[in-house]
Amino acid sequence: MYSLIIAFGFLLAMRGAKPASLHRPAEGLLRIWREASDLLLTVDLALMLLAISLLFRGTRPFAQEYAVLGAGLIVYGASRFQKKTDVFFLSAAAITFVIYSRQYDPLHGLAMAGSVSVGIGLFQTCFWGLRYRLLFSRVPASMEGWPVLCLLAGFISIALWGFGRLIF
Amino acid sequence: MKLPESLFSRMLLAYLPFMLYPFDLFRSGVAALWIATFLWISSAFFWFTRRFFPERFLKPAFFLWLLVWAQAIGTVTKLPPLWIVSAFFLMPVSFLETAGKAGRVRIFSKEVPRYFFERALAGLGFLGFATLLTLVREIGESRLGTRLVDQPPAGLLFVIAALAFLWKNQPFRRP
Repeated sequence: MYSLIIAFGFLLAMRGAKPASLHRPAEGLLRIWREASDLLLTVDLALMLLAISLLFRGTRPFAQEYAVLGAGLIVYGASRFQKKTDVFFLSAAAITFVIYSRQYDPLHGLAMAGSVSVGIGLFQTCFWGLRYRLLFSRVPASMEGWPVLCLLAGFISIALWGFGRLIF
Repeated sequence: MKLPESLFSRMLLAYLPFMLYPFDLFRSGVAALWIATFLWISSAFFWFTRRFFPERFLKPAFFLWLLVWAQAIGTVTKLPPLWIVSAFFLMPVSFLETAGKAGRVRIFSKEVPRYFFERALAGLGFLGFATLLTLVREIGESRLGTRLVDQPPAGLLFVIAALAFLWKNQPFRRP
């Protein structure tokens, strides 16, 4: 699950939504956490609807057999309603299915979605902060772009893992 | 739909969800091959049929296509649908635009549509990229005893950073 947070945190940080300018850090942070809460609501909605459809005899076979399609359609509708990007939709659909496939208990599923969304928000906040710091650093031209961004993601991954181990 | 992106960016972004598959080299290779094949099938299908879709339904049709395939492959092979995110990132610029015309590129004195050339290259590049990184992961885990992906995935991100550095600083690259 931790790898899921890092992979999709990095993906959404790079292509999730149109980023705010690095020169306005407060706006960027606000946008990151709004996106994370939207992701949480979208994933929770899909998980809840899937859990509800498992309760009824008429819809149970569909929810069991066509979970990917069902979750995908729910997330697609929710993403379009919120006018989100395609990357947001695909990420939310993938996260929903990964959680659903590992956790059938709805409450545990919701808790897992919460921790994934908070983790993604935390990752993006750290990533945003480090990218902001890079504005004032002299990065060699050969390291600009993907090399330095991947290094940052790797270091954040280690740091968050360390904090997680300390707390839990 | 999306901004035009370089081949390396697309391969890297497509690899991030693929990284979550806990597969060995063979199964990773098969999954990557499937993603590349799916990319080629989708590219050909939507290139030839995009005029038949009403413009506003083209994008939903594409996403429905992705979801239906994810469901079908998930039912048959139990492959989690993370691969549709990879396939999406491998499709570069606005291939769903009905007005788009394919430019041409010369390969071995034969002109082929740039559209198909770029998709073929993206698929092959992703296949090589994913296989290489899985090989690195296998070596790291079996020979060196390090866990590059599971907890945390930093090891693979550092390897990707090294690959990005090498890609960016190719000695014979045109400026």
